[in-house]
Order: sequence, then structure tokens, then C-alpha cells
Amino acid sequence: MSDEKITIETGDAGKGTSTIDKNANTEELEERALSVFSSERNEDITALVLSLITTFIVLVFTKWM
Amino acid sequence: MNTGGGIMPQAKDNKPLFILSGIMIIYALIASSGILHPLMKFLHTAKTADLQVMMGFIVGGIGIAGALVNTVRKPGNTVFDRFVLQPLPGIILILLMAMAIRWYVEPVVKLISHSLQPVLGFKIYKVLNLNYVILGLLAGVLLTNTYGIPKFAAAGVKCARFVLKMGVIMLGARYSFAELAKLGSYSIVLVGGFVLGTVFFVLWLGNLFKQPKTMTGVLSAGMGVCGVSATVAVAPVVKAKSEEMAYTIGTILSFGIICMFVFPTIGHMAGMNPVQFGAWAGTGILNSAQVAAAALAFNAVDIKTLKVAEIFNITRVLFLPIIVLVLATWFGKQSGKKLTFKEVVIDKFPIFILGFLLLFAMSSLGLFSPPTHYKGKFIDFSYNERSQITEKEWETLDKALQNNTFQGLSADQLAAVKDLVAQRQLAGNFESRADKKAFQQQGEKRMDALKSITAAAKAKAITLPKDVTHAIKHAVKQVHKKSKTVSTLTDCMIWFFAFGLIGLGMQITKKAIFQAGGWPLVIGVISGVTKATLSFFVVLWLVKDVVLK
Repeated sequence: MSDEKITIETGDAGKGTSTIDKNANTEELEERALSVFSSERNEDITALVLSLITTFIVLVFTKWM
Repeated sequence: MNTGGGIMPQAKDNKPLFILSGIMIIYALIASSGILHPLMKFLHTAKTADLQVMMGFIVGGIGIAGALVNTVRKPGNTVFDRFVLQPLPGIILILLMAMAIRWYVEPVVKLISHSLQPVLGFKIYKVLNLNYVILGLLAGVLLTNTYGIPKFAAAGVKCARFVLKMGVIMLGARYSFAELAKLGSYSIVLVGGFVLGTVFFVLWLGNLFKQPKTMTGVLSAGMGVCGVSATVAVAPVVKAKSEEMAYTIGTILSFGIICMFVFPTIGHMAGMNPVQFGAWAGTGILNSAQVAAAALAFNAVDIKTLKVAEIFNITRVLFLPIIVLVLATWFGKQSGKKLTFKEVVIDKFPIFILGFLLLFAMSSLGLFSPPTHYKGKFIDFSYNERSQITEKEWETLDKALQNNTFQGLSADQLAAVKDLVAQRQLAGNFESRADKKAFQQQGEKRMDALKSITAAAKAKAITLPKDVTHAIKHAVKQVHKKSKTVSTLTDCMIWFFAFGLIGLGMQITKKAIFQAGGWPLVIGVISGVTKATLSFFVVLWLVKDVVLK
């Protein structure tokens, strides 16, 4: 396998730039996909938790207090 | 980073955070002193003065606290460091930009557009949709492609993506069952048709131009579903080459950026209503953030367009596993070694959609405002000081009654005015306040009578002094209440979107766009333009009724 690398600019906040072998095999592509899935899952969980915290704070100040 | 040289070097590391937070607090102090009031009035932002002061103090205060913590303790790699302290400077930078754009740049652009209208014959900001969303995006693009994202802000900019998702989650609180059901059924038909249609169209184009199946496979998913995620998920299934992935991602990005700016202008020119534009943007644009940007660029004042566009966007995101399965079957691949179909369906499931549904459920159960209220809006005839008209308005109406100013009114209309003067607010009879149904009916009858007076005055069927009609209008307005919880949640959501879109702008680099090229660019542009054009006509043909209020 060649050591030549290719840089992919995703243009997406959070994903940024990633480097991958120019001749990456299927297994490497699978690993990359799984790593993107995992980072997206973490992002979703963070967004969900922070949204619930925001909702709770809004309820405390506008309804329950 | 400090390596043990004491507090001073760490304070130096935190200089940007101290400066940004200081600017926020100084601005809040100046705004609270009232010096800026004439300027705010000139820019038509005086109504937000309290919010400006509050945000300045809160954000500046949090920033100073964060900078102090960072100064006295050694930076580490704890959850608190990674999620709060490290991104804080970037978050405050984006918030500062968002505040400056919303309260100063956008009003100035509007004023300049107004003054140039006699020369140009049109308002620039209307034609180019230069509202705070587009201006924020442009500011982000400009910063990242000139000076570059400052090093201290890099971690904060990365938050933009999940903050945008927070906006989508919070948006869930603003739907009714009927809206979700109707928009959902539209979106499944439209998005389903266009996603599958685009995938097969790209594969056919690839065949026509004799391009490798690996490239057309990865491009078909990118152009059909949702850009970068789809490309990465499908690449191993179709055994795409790394270069093909880079070309595909570049094509999708460039195409999406053009759509984000062009779609709202075309939508306005074609006279699309919010539902039609939301449906078109959600179907024709490939990236979730770009869909939100286009919807808010089309209409940033209310969220009707955004609501429709996001339902279509969510439906499109949910189509990804189906497309992976379709392409895997097409390419004769049963399952990968590591990336099985189970992984695509379960690991790739967008959890933020569960959050969206959770907020929708909370809202539907009446947690934010009673379920009988439509999106937090309701009419309240109960005796309440906040529902009263002002002393001056009461004097105006009382004097008008004594001077027999109300000529040509029906008995019911005159009775409603007399009651308004007697009770100083629009309400039912005081004696029947225990019987809620009767009280409500009396209030509604009086409200109808008062509304008919202002309508008759507007139609010039009767003549009333302006201050009298103003007083009556105000009395009617006073009983139309809005849930504070729903309003605050909506404000938070709008700020999340504004923040996320400035961050999105900061990720649009020349390098990312210019990596597009080769056959993926040719096929991508043909399929993207075809999809956008066809979906435009289909939406205009199918989506006619406005389901939102």
C-alpha cells in the first residue's frame, strides 16, 4: 500500500479536515465511517443534553419561579 | 500553554478571553446608562435594549469567570476543560459577532438599502436577503478566508455544529400534531421521491459518461441524501477511492453554498409562501446547516419557513440507511467487515431527532403552555393589571364617550366601549366572573364588537379620532397573551441558529470549495440543478395550502 495521503476538507464545523491514505482499502474506509458516526453520535448527545438543560432553566425562570 | 510559570503567563494565555468578556461588560454598562438609546432608536433596536444589556452582563460575566478559573488553575483535559473552558473564547467571539450583526450591522444595511432605493429602484437587502443570518454567514466566511480563525477561538467554532442541532431540537416545541402530521406526509412523499430519483439519476449519468461505478456510487449518495455524512457512510459500500470522496465532498459543499444564497432570492422572485419555500429548501439543498440558513435567509422574522424546512431536512436525514441498503444491493455487497447494516442503522441514527420529538412531546403535553393554547398564544379576559389600557387611553375614551364622539355605532359596539371605560380592560362582567364559560363568552362578544369598531373606522364607515382607535386597538391587544416560556424558548432557538450559522460560515474555506473538480463536479452540477429545478416545480404544484398560522 502506498504511503501517499490525501486531505479531505469536510467544510463542516466539528468534522474539519481529515487525512486518509490515497489508496485506502475498504476496511480503512469503514473505520473512517465508524469514527464519523461516533463523533456525530457524541455531538447529538451533547446537543440533546444541553437543550434539556436550557429548557429546564427557561422553565425555572419563566414558569416555576 | 502555561508550564508552571505562575499566574501571570496563564493570564497572558487568557488575554483574548479577558478582552472579549471586557468588551461585553463595557458595552452592557454603556447600554444600561441610556447613552446609546438615541442610536438604538435610530436603528430601530431600542425594544431589545434590555436584552442587549442582559446578554452583555451574563456573557461577559461568564467569560471573566472562565478566564479567572483558567488563570488560577492549570489547564487540564477534564470534561469541564474540554466542554467549557477551552471553547469559551470561541463561543464568546461568535456571540459578540452575532450581537453586533443583529443589532448594528443588519439595521445599518437596511438603512443604506432604503437610502439607495431611489437610485437603484430596489432595496439591496431584500434582493440579496441581507438579514442577520446571511450577514453572519458572510462575516464567518470573510474572517476564515482572510485573517483565519484565531487560534484561541478554534475550539469554540467547533461547537457551532451541535449548537445548530440544539436549535433544531428546541424547534420541536413549536409544532402542533396537525402540522407535524401534514408536513411529515408531504416530506415523505417529496423527499423520498427526490432522494431515490437523484441516486438513480447520478448512477445513470455515470453510466452515460462512462465513469467508474465507485465514483458515481459515492456521488449519488452525497447528492441524494445529506452531503458529507452520506458520502462517508457509502464510500466503503461502493469501495470508493479517497480522491473520489474528496471530489464528491467538494462538489456537494460548493453546490450547497451556492444554493444557500440563490434559493431565497429565487423563492422571493417566484412569490413562494413560507410552506412552499421550506419544502423546496428541505428537498433541494443537501446539507442540514445550509437548509436552516436558506430558510432563515428567506424569512428571519418568524420561523414558519424554518419549521417546514426542518421537517423536510429531518426526513432526508432519516433516508440515509435506506440509501446505503439500496446502493449495497445495487453494488451486490452484502455486508462490510466492520460496517454492517446494523451499524449504519443504529450507530448512524440521528439522536438529535429524538430530542426534537421529546421537545414536541413536552410541548404537546402542555409543559410550556396549556395544550388548548396555540403555540403559546392565548386570549385572557381575566382581571389583570397587565391587561388594562393606560391612564391616558382611558381618559381619551372617557372624554370621547362624554362628547358623543362615537356616532354611528351599534348598541353592542357602544356597550362594549362603555364597558371598556368602566372596567379599564376588555373582560366579561365582574358579577359573572365565577361562571368561567359565561365570563369568557361576554369577553369574546365585547372583543368582536371592539374589533368591528376599528374595522369600520379603517374602512371609513365611521369617523373616529386616531387616539380613540389606538386606545381600542390596545385594549384588544392587551388580552392577547403569549406564554413567556414559549417566547423565551423561541428566542433561545433563534440565537442557537444564529450562532451555528456564523460557525458554519467559518468552516467555508477556499480550500474546501476548490477541492471540487473532475467528473464528480460535472455530474454533481447536472444532478443538483435538475433536482433543484424539478423540486421547485413539484413544490409549486403540490404544496399550495398554508398549514401554519
